[in-house]
Amino acid sequence: MTDPNFKKGLDALDQGPARAAGETVESPPPAGDLPPHPTVDALRDTFGEAILRHEVVSGDEHIVYIGPERNLEILRWLRDNPGERYDMLRDVTAIDYGNGAFLQLVYELWSIPNRRQLRIKIELPLDRLEVDSVYYVWRASDWLERETFDMFGIVFRGHPDLRRILMPYNYAEGHPLRKDFPLRGRFTRAEQTRRSLSLKTEDHYSPYEVELAKRLGQPLPSVMADDGGPGVPESGMPGIGAQ
Amino acid sequence: MAQTKKRTVVYNVTRNPQLADGGGLVHAPIVPVEGEVASDFDEDIHGTHMLINIGPQHPATHGVLRLVLELDGETVIKCIPHIGYLHSSFEKLGEYRTWNQIVPLTDRMDYLAPLIYNCAYAMAVEKMMGIEVTERCKVLRVILMEMDRIFSHLLWLGTTAIDLGAFTVFLYTFQERERVYNLHEAYTGARITTSATRIGGMMADLPAGWIEQLNHFVKTFPRTLDEVETLLTNNAIWVGRTQDVGVISGQDAVNFGLTGANLRASGVDYDVRKDRPYYDYETYDFDVPVGEHGDIYDRYLCRMEEMRQSVRLLQQAIARLPGGPVNVDDPRVILPPKTAAMNDMESMIHHFKVVMEGVRAPVGESWFSVESSKGELAMYVVSDGGSKPVRWRVRGPSFINIAALPHMIEGSLLSDVIAVNASLDIVLGEIDR
Amino acid sequence: MGLNPDEPDETRRDAHVAEMKESGGLPVRTAEAQGGIFSGAPGFLTTRLDTVVNWARENSLWPMPFGTACCAIEMMATAASRYDLARFGMERMSFSPRQADLLICAGRVSYKMAPVLRRIWEQMPQPKWSISMGACASSGGVFDVYSMVQGIDTIIPVDVYVPGCPPRPEGLMYGILMIQEKIRRASPTADWVADESLIEGLPTLPAQHLDLVTSPFGNSTQQNRSSGLVSSGAIVRPNDRQP
Ligand code: SF4
Repeated sequence: MTDPNFKKGLDALDQGPARAAGETVESPPPAGDLPPHPTVDALRDTFGEAILRHEVVSGDEHIVYIGPERNLEILRWLRDNPGERYDMLRDVTAIDYGNGAFLQLVYELWSIPNRRQLRIKIELPLDRLEVDSVYYVWRASDWLERETFDMFGIVFRGHPDLRRILMPYNYAEGHPLRKDFPLRGRFTRAEQTRRSLSLKTEDHYSPYEVELAKRLGQPLPSVMADDGGPGVPESGMPGIGAQ
Repeated sequence: MAQTKKRTVVYNVTRNPQLADGGGLVHAPIVPVEGEVASDFDEDIHGTHMLINIGPQHPATHGVLRLVLELDGETVIKCIPHIGYLHSSFEKLGEYRTWNQIVPLTDRMDYLAPLIYNCAYAMAVEKMMGIEVTERCKVLRVILMEMDRIFSHLLWLGTTAIDLGAFTVFLYTFQERERVYNLHEAYTGARITTSATRIGGMMADLPAGWIEQLNHFVKTFPRTLDEVETLLTNNAIWVGRTQDVGVISGQDAVNFGLTGANLRASGVDYDVRKDRPYYDYETYDFDVPVGEHGDIYDRYLCRMEEMRQSVRLLQQAIARLPGGPVNVDDPRVILPPKTAAMNDMESMIHHFKVVMEGVRAPVGESWFSVESSKGELAMYVVSDGGSKPVRWRVRGPSFINIAALPHMIEGSLLSDVIAVNASLDIVLGEIDR
Repeated sequence: MGLNPDEPDETRRDAHVAEMKESGGLPVRTAEAQGGIFSGAPGFLTTRLDTVVNWARENSLWPMPFGTACCAIEMMATAASRYDLARFGMERMSFSPRQADLLICAGRVSYKMAPVLRRIWEQMPQPKWSISMGACASSGGVFDVYSMVQGIDTIIPVDVYVPGCPPRPEGLMYGILMIQEKIRRASPTADWVADESLIEGLPTLPAQHLDLVTSPFGNSTQQNRSSGLVSSGAIVRPNDRQP
């Protein structure tokens, strides 16, 4: 009745990480044994001290840790250097481990010509969340940096339009994806509802738009649907709801 | 009379030799002029320009997207999208859920192709944990993902056609979609919110008769596609409203991070299934259509061809679907069979622990991407050894594709805004997350 | 009334007419009323004003689809080929709130979207009804988080809740039929305009009530044992399990 395999399974469950049967727990391999990545060597040669560590995770994903000071220079070099050509910025995001640990800023790069992946990480202390923006290197970073700013409060110096993107512009509860932010927000539900219902028209517009409306002598258009009285509906056809 | 230029997409080029030089990209980065954005106003705009607001509740924005447009007559001078009207904080919620509990969240993110999201998430976690799923599971997931690629493209086709004034196509595509709904329902019990995957396998094996039903769909579906093509491809209105509208060059597209059909329509041959094959995609025989003009029409042609290629993939996958278990034989991630859990104490405890505490992942992280119907979809999972993720990040393809919208429509006409927006194939659930 | 094939047609019809009159149902063409055409009798019928008005209202509802997320796809399916909402006199989806009398809120509503929903509701002319479609619109669903409205009934009055995630098209149709039922039972002559007393910028409920009805329940993280039975605090790691 008692299957020894299941007993083993239970013990393993307690130990946590699922490893292939029979595999022993090993410490991460020492730095010298990592699978080589041509870019990492080139980076070390070019930038020396600014390159902090090199790690490989999940088999084939290479991570390079760099200092926050020269990130723009290094990332621009990665895109422009004929040997590297990381022309695609696939992701910018951050990780908060909580308990006051450094925030990790993550850039995920891909080189279409060389078919190579590289992840750049920058560790930022919680009291100095500032790096240079790569807006003028990859335009893809525009919204990604705004999102990271919105969710983690990391300031990207030189980003031309750094404002909240997902949360309302008047959001006052903080940066939601930080670990010290409670899941349901800091205010009570009643307060949150009241605040949202009393948003003013200007709260829905970016400074550019507010300024433009002022110059045009035009009131800001209402954000709410169809504010201009009975109008012609966009389409009288059935079924085209929003997606 | 609209000009009807004859044009075809470069069909059946997997690695187009003409676009050689490393996957078809001439590397010449665009460098936007510094200070290009905001702040400097033209002095003599008084009374001539107009600020209008579209959305967030508008039938043609495909969800709750909101666009603020500065118009000069009918020409769009500046377009500023505002998003976040559907922000449901999936990523924060994921940090409070165990690894398996996140699966139901993934299909609420992209409700147009839920199974692709289910599979992508499971694959990312499995990669981080070092779990190799069974052969049957691999092929099954390929089948599910290709099926949902068709599912999602069909909705795109129907709604885009409506936005451009062709209503019949919508009814045709929804008729086909209902058949995929039936397949979803027969397998998972739900029409949209499928939640089909688990870490290490699927929630169940296929029900009897499912493959036959799919086979029937695969056989008869291309006929509808032909019908739609006769309605649209050479239709003067369709051609007039799509050709040379919303053009983006290949270099710009890469710099903006576009992926999927939007990128390939601009002539860049980048498809995750070919460039970083997963689940043995390299052993399937299929082509990646690549366009050349980067306008709406090429995106349309690319998606049409992608659906036909998905049919090919489905046929091959059905033919090679092996027998055997769908779940890995690893008691640490997979629940014991129900009969064992009911009859045997050890299994019951084990069942209890997996359910109540969740699977525990090793310390590590994985940024894993698949080719979804909208582009490159990546799941970034970070674990600190607990039963819940430290960070679960979704790199949504629509989020990045829609960011290029202003670039494509500034300078064109107001009526093109709706067309270009529709052509990008966005889903707001995943843009706002 | 059982259908007896042997009964003569007239008897059956008269019994049916009597039943309908009794229940205040649809105005039915009686032999006398038909007389205008058939026998030269005066061309009018007597009925209650309520019945006529209700009959007209219930059979030409113009829905305003307020679709945001997954549920909106099911709403589209309801209007599309197979389920064909037009069978209920509703093929004219109205995308302008000013020409609509049924708001179908399908999908989750965030606090950023809440004022828009409220405004759309206010723009709809009386009489108006609303359906909250899906778990998210009705109660927040799985999204008991900082950015989501916990049930649109904190923002606008709701007539019918359709449960499900997402509800099947049949479910939505049943909800619409219930709205029709509700219309049939109302007395437009007695309370011509429903009193709503929505106050600009305020939720539909007082603060304590709102906090009470939106407090965590059922599906929320508080009930998730592996999160240690704490509500949304910072995450307890790495041994985040109940002793
Ligand atoms: S109830 Fe379910 S299907 Fe509907 S919007 Fe919410 S998550 Fe999506």
